[in-house]
Amino acid sequence: MFHKMMKTGSGSLIVFMILCSMILPFPVSAAPIPFFEKHCFECHDSASKQAGLDLTKLESPNAENFVKWVRIHDRIESGEMPPKAQPRPPVADKDAVTKSLKASLIKVEQDTFKSEPRSGLRRLTRAEYENTIRDLFDMPGIALQGELPPDGSAHGFDKNSDALDISHVNLAKYIEAAEHVLNIAIATRPNPPSVTTRRISLANSGGFVAHVIMNGDGVLLKDKKPDPDFPPAAEQNHIDEGAHERMESFNNRSTVGLFRHEDESLSPYFIEHVTIYPGLYRVRTSLWSFQWDKGQVLPSRGTEAARLSVVQLTGDGRGGQHPSYKLGYFDAPSMEAQEHQLVTWLNHNELIGFNVASLAPVANYNRKGRAMAFTGPGIACDWLDIQGPLHNVWPPFSHIALFGELPLVEFKAADHPGVRPPQRKQVRQLGAGKNRPDPAPGLWTVQSEQPLVDADRLLKIFLPRAFRRPVDAEVRQVYVAQVDERLKAGECFESAMRWAYRAALCSPDFLYHVGWDSVPTRVSNPSTTGRENEKGRDGVPTYIDDYSLACRLSYFFLNSMPDGRLTDLAARNILQQPRFLQMEVDDMLKNPKSQRFIDDFLGQWLKLRQIAATDPDKKLYPEFNPYLQDSMVAETRAYFRELIEQNLSASHLIKSDFAMLNEKLAVHYGIPGVTGSQIRRVPLPPDCPRGGFLTQASILKITANGTTTSPVPRGAFVMDRLLGQPPDPPPPNIAAVEPDVRGATTIREQLAKHRDNAVCASCHAKMDPPGFALEAFDVIGGPRSRYRSIGDGEPAPRGAIDPFIGISFKLGPPVDSTGVLPDGRSFKDVLEFQTLIAADSNRLLMNLAERLMIYATGRDTSFSDRDQLAAIVAATQKQGGGIRTLIHEVVQSPLFQNR
Amino acid sequence: MCHRRRRVFAVHDFVIMILSPLWILSPAAAEEPKLIKHQITGLFSPDREKDLRDVFEQKLPQFKLVSIDFNNAEASFDYDPAKIFPGAKPEQIIERFDNELRNATRHTFGAKPLRTIEKDKLKLVEIPIVGLDCKACSFAVYEMVYRLKGVEMATSSFKEGKLTALIDPEKIDRVEIEMTLKQRGVQFNPQE
Repeated sequence: MFHKMMKTGSGSLIVFMILCSMILPFPVSAAPIPFFEKHCFECHDSASKQAGLDLTKLESPNAENFVKWVRIHDRIESGEMPPKAQPRPPVADKDAVTKSLKASLIKVEQDTFKSEPRSGLRRLTRAEYENTIRDLFDMPGIALQGELPPDGSAHGFDKNSDALDISHVNLAKYIEAAEHVLNIAIATRPNPPSVTTRRISLANSGGFVAHVIMNGDGVLLKDKKPDPDFPPAAEQNHIDEGAHERMESFNNRSTVGLFRHEDESLSPYFIEHVTIYPGLYRVRTSLWSFQWDKGQVLPSRGTEAARLSVVQLTGDGRGGQHPSYKLGYFDAPSMEAQEHQLVTWLNHNELIGFNVASLAPVANYNRKGRAMAFTGPGIACDWLDIQGPLHNVWPPFSHIALFGELPLVEFKAADHPGVRPPQRKQVRQLGAGKNRPDPAPGLWTVQSEQPLVDADRLLKIFLPRAFRRPVDAEVRQVYVAQVDERLKAGECFESAMRWAYRAALCSPDFLYHVGWDSVPTRVSNPSTTGRENEKGRDGVPTYIDDYSLACRLSYFFLNSMPDGRLTDLAARNILQQPRFLQMEVDDMLKNPKSQRFIDDFLGQWLKLRQIAATDPDKKLYPEFNPYLQDSMVAETRAYFRELIEQNLSASHLIKSDFAMLNEKLAVHYGIPGVTGSQIRRVPLPPDCPRGGFLTQASILKITANGTTTSPVPRGAFVMDRLLGQPPDPPPPNIAAVEPDVRGATTIREQLAKHRDNAVCASCHAKMDPPGFALEAFDVIGGPRSRYRSIGDGEPAPRGAIDPFIGISFKLGPPVDSTGVLPDGRSFKDVLEFQTLIAADSNRLLMNLAERLMIYATGRDTSFSDRDQLAAIVAATQKQGGGIRTLIHEVVQSPLFQNR
Repeated sequence: MCHRRRRVFAVHDFVIMILSPLWILSPAAAEEPKLIKHQITGLFSPDREKDLRDVFEQKLPQFKLVSIDFNNAEASFDYDPAKIFPGAKPEQIIERFDNELRNATRHTFGAKPLRTIEKDKLKLVEIPIVGLDCKACSFAVYEMVYRLKGVEMATSSFKEGKLTALIDPEKIDRVEIEMTLKQRGVQFNPQE
């Protein structure tokens, strides 16, 4: 009706103005009404209601319709609306309407923020919890995450209060975790566990490797020749593994040469060491590679790579397939042993696992002639040494953090009548470890002559560290009272203190980022902070205090509690000063623990956590293996690290003249001259599309389903994650487009039909072009000019695929990676697409700034934050547009430092 | 029945040997070696003689290995059972000795009473084995056979690719040995 009145001119002007003031968000004198009337109502009135939008009925912006109005604002501002076919509005008119809309939207948003804090109260994520415990007690590898319930995710990250609920299950798990932490942290013996060094053969008795060696999937070598005392398995396998073990066939210091990959029936473990005492262990190993030729050891095709992993024994510790995580990939040069060494934390019942990572899966087990009929590469492991547990001091820091310098004494019940002794958990070693616990030293515990005085003193040191801020004496007294209560109940000093420490580790002060909301806001020392002019609404400053700032910085870059220096700067109230902020950010990015930020941020922003969500079809992509997958992830992480360290521009997110590669990835990408398992910077030829995130194999795998690629999810990923313009979700009841693996039709042909539907067309016009460009890459990120097919097609050449991998796929239709951007610019291949997208550095920086801000502050960005984000980007561009500069600008911005 | 009588005799012989009045009453007995002979299991090839010597030198020095008779799978020792196995009854000595030897060698060597049946009443069986690759494979095959009732002695050689067994034909025959090997997955060339 309103629309008709407007169109026909009927009705009085007064009625019209009243209606406008009720329905539309603008004062009558403002420009928008004529703008909408002239450019929008034709399609978006109650009669047409295109895309379900009736502007004549839409109320002024409010909390309920806010998102809709933001979308209207954005589409007018970007020029997407009115549509291209319609007359273009004058720039002044467009600016006026967007300005007016923006003012209204910001007002609505500010009103909303009055009733709720920007950063909601939230608990630590699982990763934050684990890292905080690790740093609090200097136990750098204690495993806790796996026992805690998974975190939710909101606005792309798990650090948001919307996603971090807490239940009785969480609480129960926190109590268990605290007990576990204290069990490991507290010293229970007068001297450290004795340091042992054990040299282990990969063919250790009782293991899987000995068994497969007896059947030809590996060999024993001496002096780089077949071991004369243990000839390779040939027509017959060796008889009776037990007899060979008893005759010590595998314990004669021979080198183990292995051909066969880890699989569901082969789990190569160094089982003779099963960790009893959690702690740091030095692991050394000697590796080389060779070409096996029916009984002869020859130089190999190049440097192969072996993977070492930490295996967590479960159940009764028997068998294989226990959960594990990667320690690293290590080079095995041809015929020349290379020693590798690392120091790693091992938890109770963990051992070291091995895999011939770079080799193709082969099995001679039941093949005729076994090893003596086999020709192919092998990786040799001379030995593996495990030394530990390593302690620089005793008691360890974890104990000192709890009990300071109080002496450890033997607890004799007769000397403590009526006092319950501390309880000790019996250590049970799983598996077939040959290492044994030290003789029990008796019952040792800390002794205090003045228990309550010591309790107060110890808690005064511990609580501020654990809670990441000063702790009032009143709060401390609550914990001391617990100690007092337990002492009166007959507990010994250690047990009484455990109650208090466990309570602290399960308290909101520890589990939550408490300070971000609860402390009074203020601007301290405004003459030095540079923030004196920044005030929140109603003139009230809304900055977080320095302790909260220290936490925000630390949980941003280290994903953990602030260290001593950061806390000291906060205590001196100078952390907020720009120069200190700048210095601290630089220092934290240099800290090896900043890898936690890289891993955690990329895991969510670029969905790297989902890298293993799909298993590529073995027939279509036989060359895929875990080594390639791990290399993909390593590339993306190393690349982001390089962008930060070298302060490279945002265009590198899309396009680059270098890539971070190891041999496996280089071969996968078709780039020659890279040897070894370690990721390093490799210059790229000008016509190579690799390097940027856009064309990294990890991203290309994550955006495929394991069997096929579709421009739709890939395009949506690029729009959302790299360009910051997430497409709308698909309308209901529209069937997804499924690529045809038989090779009969291309995805482009199917999408063309799909776009005939007008409802689909507008979104796909934006979403499909990036996806079309990325059609130049297959499911695992390999280059392609034709689709692989398991049905019709021509025989496929082997290309760079390992000659020991059988291929059965065929070549289907050719790939078309051309496309047209929504603004009409066309590209003929992915290189041209990269050039077009990389040129828009503002958009790329804006998106990255927003992602970093959401991750760092644990809150979504709002409409009214856009100006501040734009200011961050502008300031970054002014200094050259580097990613590191962007990070600094993010940290220096009021948006980061606000509550 | 016959077998039981033989075992009794064997124990009797042994008791007589270690309690011989010559050893106990003679003034020179203390100086003379108290030679005790046992049948040794695990001597399946000549190179095992060295292994056996190493075991007694390195792990069981309390027993002095005096000599090895590979052809009869026997060895002579010099030790005082009363000192090494105090309180053990005479018939327990061999069992105790066997335990010591087995524990020291992960059960690759053992001891048992001397054979009582005369060697010329035993029958030699030779079985060519397919895939005897190494010493441990030889041991594996030997171990499958020597425990069988009626097998008085056995050897196994990966160099010659065959198993030999001296059997008491009244108690076991070649077919039974072959059946045993077959059941354990060992392939052999059938008797020509």
